[in-house]
Amino acid sequence: MFHQTGIKTAVILALLAGLAAYAALGGYFARELVIEIATLAILAISLDMVAGFGGMVSLCHGSIFGLGAYGFAVAATLLGLPPGLALVAGIALGALFGGAVGAVTSRARGIFFIMATLAFGQMVYVLIFDARALGGDDGLPGVPRLDLSALGVDLQSSLQFALFAIACLGLVYALAAFVLRSGFGRTLCGIHANEARMRALGIPVWQYKANGFALSGAMAGFAGALAAQHTMFVSPEMMVWTVSGEALVIVILGGMGTLVGPAVGAALLILLRHEIASLTNHWHMVIGIVLIVTVLAGGRGLYGQLEHMVQARRERVKAHA
Amino acid sequence: MSKLKGLAAGALALAALSTASAAEAETRVGLLLPYAGVYAALGEEIDAGFQLALEEAGMTDEFAIVREDTEVKPPVGLAKARKLVLEDEVDVIVGLVSSGVLGAVRDFVDGAQVPLIVANAGNDDATGSRCSKYITRVSFSNGQVNRPMGQWMYDQGIRKVYTLAPDYAAGRQMVGAFAEAFRQAGGEIVGEDFTPFRKTQDFGPYLTKAKAAGPDAIFVFYAGGEAISFVKQYDSFGIKADIPLYGSGFLTSPLYVNAEGPAAEGVVTALHYVPTIDTPENRAFVEAFRARTDRAPSEYAVQGYDAGRALIEAVKSGADSREALASALAKVTYTGPRGPVKIDPATNNIVQNIYVYETIKGDGGLTQKIVGTVEAVADAPNGCKL
Amino acid sequence: MLADPSTWIVQGLNGLQLSMLLFLLSVGLTVIFGLLHFVNLAHGALYALGAYAGVSAVWMLGSYWAAFVLAPAAVALAGTVLYLGLIRRMRRSGPMNQVLVTFGLIFVFLDIFRIVWGDIALGIDAPAFLAGPVEVLGVAYPAYRLFIIALGAAVMAGLGLVLSRTQIGAMIRAGVDNDRMAACLGLNVERIFFVVFCVGCALAGLAGVVAAPVFSVTPDMGTQILIPTLIVVVIGGLGSLKGAVAGSLIVGFTQTFGAVLAPQLAAVAVYALLAGILIFRPAGLFPARG
Repeated sequence: MFHQTGIKTAVILALLAGLAAYAALGGYFARELVIEIATLAILAISLDMVAGFGGMVSLCHGSIFGLGAYGFAVAATLLGLPPGLALVAGIALGALFGGAVGAVTSRARGIFFIMATLAFGQMVYVLIFDARALGGDDGLPGVPRLDLSALGVDLQSSLQFALFAIACLGLVYALAAFVLRSGFGRTLCGIHANEARMRALGIPVWQYKANGFALSGAMAGFAGALAAQHTMFVSPEMMVWTVSGEALVIVILGGMGTLVGPAVGAALLILLRHEIASLTNHWHMVIGIVLIVTVLAGGRGLYGQLEHMVQARRERVKAHA
Repeated sequence: MSKLKGLAAGALALAALSTASAAEAETRVGLLLPYAGVYAALGEEIDAGFQLALEEAGMTDEFAIVREDTEVKPPVGLAKARKLVLEDEVDVIVGLVSSGVLGAVRDFVDGAQVPLIVANAGNDDATGSRCSKYITRVSFSNGQVNRPMGQWMYDQGIRKVYTLAPDYAAGRQMVGAFAEAFRQAGGEIVGEDFTPFRKTQDFGPYLTKAKAAGPDAIFVFYAGGEAISFVKQYDSFGIKADIPLYGSGFLTSPLYVNAEGPAAEGVVTALHYVPTIDTPENRAFVEAFRARTDRAPSEYAVQGYDAGRALIEAVKSGADSREALASALAKVTYTGPRGPVKIDPATNNIVQNIYVYETIKGDGGLTQKIVGTVEAVADAPNGCKL
Repeated sequence: MLADPSTWIVQGLNGLQLSMLLFLLSVGLTVIFGLLHFVNLAHGALYALGAYAGVSAVWMLGSYWAAFVLAPAAVALAGTVLYLGLIRRMRRSGPMNQVLVTFGLIFVFLDIFRIVWGDIALGIDAPAFLAGPVEVLGVAYPAYRLFIIALGAAVMAGLGLVLSRTQIGAMIRAGVDNDRMAACLGLNVERIFFVVFCVGCALAGLAGVVAAPVFSVTPDMGTQILIPTLIVVVIGGLGSLKGAVAGSLIVGFTQTFGAVLAPQLAAVAVYALLAGILIFRPAGLFPARG
């Protein structure tokens, strides 16, 4: 079950504030990193919704992310729609694909579920890679950013786009928290806890799974559209299966099923990778060792471990009271 | 009178001093290459060639180099390019191995008006419909390296060819250029296959199909690990005895041809550079490169060298700002290890010789024997408006 | 061209050869999954290690057959180190942490390959008497690929015999079926797990050194082969030899004939197959546990 505890609020607010400060005070590259962290964090939160809370670990979220990016890019460049509508198109495409995958794979479990999602994700990747009308592996350039001049915001400026991305992250987190606290969210967690029992209660399990996946897909699609606006360019690279793998790693690294953990994981991994890459060309190895050590040290993910310790202390205090 | 002369001499001396110190102001260069991951070998080759050019001219002190890793990922390449331009304030960017990264970076470089010297990425559009007066390419374009083979193979008496290439933009451009030229010369393409990119290591099914089509020759483009797999499997199926293999020179690049073993002997390919070009400039270059890295230079090394050389020529002509460098680069012409090179004013792509060579056994491994030279190959504008 | 029976024979042999290579890789992985319940994403990296070990053995000793023996042994040794140092601790950790750890291992191995053997693609030659084609069934086919087919069949038969006719085979099957019950019955389940893991690693190493003369040896060859291997294991069903055989044959032939008949669809074909099978048989075709 999901509860918006004090520690969750504290950490997510601290993260958002920290990112904003880094963007405002750091150099140009800091802003690039912040935008990357924000989009990846949104993707990770969307994955945590289905994986951590719904028990459906997916390896196709990278493809949904890419679909959102392509949906936005194609709508804005090839179809000539205004960026606002194109954004809706990207989100809708993510939701549709997510819902379809969730519905079709609802019977599979465990590693089989993971592989089924991987299969669908790869099919979409290959289709886009081969689609020469969409630029093929050379990608589509000239993707515009949203026009928020009515609000006095100029997204062409790196700093303002970075702050915009951070705001989006906050919004997505709030939305995810809201959904998970609602009846729908609690049913989803119930299905994760004991599917047979929920079925016995008369709940149409596959519908909940499909809808959960659709909502998660919408968020992942939104992350993709945001990434497309950042680089103003899309290419099939955005949906390679290693993107899905990386999203999953981030979720697990931060703490699956905590909703805040994935955002923390995203910030950590990207900053860590950047720092290490500037020191050595063999940063893959260092990241690998970090991952292994994180697991050996606790297995709940970094934020998950923190939350666990705070919870344990609270319990001890209560017990002594 | 003498006072005036003295004053004039003094003024001249002052002027000379100030131009000297202006020339001493460093040119800031951003090297944007893959330094980690599976393409790191290419990045290192280009970097080594670039540094060799600076050393040869004795001008290493006049350039401040900032290196950034593209990781062969378009968004990363773009972020690093932005950093180089906005934070490090470089005067020129050199590099780019992957055409995908070039595609992502092109609009930024054009908009920010920063000169970019492309040291590898071969996508035809970069000096075609998406050309820019700030982008100068000293490596090659996919079409340029393969077109000459069309006429050359026809002249050898070959009439029917089967083509194979990986299914991605570069693969299609390379083989497409050859096929068009071959057809124009009067030949026939009896079949073509595009193999799933980076997923196919087993070419058995495709080689079998190619053989069954009964061509006079097979023409392919593969590079890196795929090239090694293809050439070895071509030999192991015994097709080598019946149907000769031709291709784009990346198939038997000096960088990894030795891994192909005796299977590569007799394969004829075309490339813009081989280490066995017999000119004084190339002999000097090969010697210097060997002294530095203990191996023969590949086409990637010479691309890095020519990027450095082009930049030096531009700087020597007096260019000291981004605009000036961009204009000066477009006018560069000299004779380097590849032979005579210049930049085509219609496309900003390099105009160079293409060497047709056969891979043969030499002392210490496989080596390249030049069997034909096509001079001054240039691209059609292809939609470029400069 | 398509009506020509000799083309079909050659393509059939191609399909069989690819299937055997996939079998060597997947059989280790499926038994590790089925028995240890361990998600080992680093299996592809072990395959790459086998290929690289083979390359070094050929460089140092000049003989392919030396590499053929030494590479699987080297990978089994690496597997021992991994098991004792890491895997044993992770067995009860739950799939998510196993994914994380083995992902980390993939990264570590990638840079080890780059540091020790360099970035440039490498290759080794098949042994002299297996180089080149031979006449079989009226067509000329590479002798080395026939060797792969024969080797795969031999391993298949050998494993089948061990699993069904020997005591250790029975113990393994009992462990796959229900490891706690097997432990209650007095079987040293820990030792069985250890042996199975090392044999699985040795098989991955064998696949690597066998594939090296056909393909090239690159630092990312492990990640490239990982997805086809996982697909084979999932289609076939976890933990069963029969599943590994069925899965590898299906995937091998689909990829080969897909390439021949419909190259544009070939890339998607295997994934469509996987998705289709999972919709109708969510646990794969021949899962070890009902």
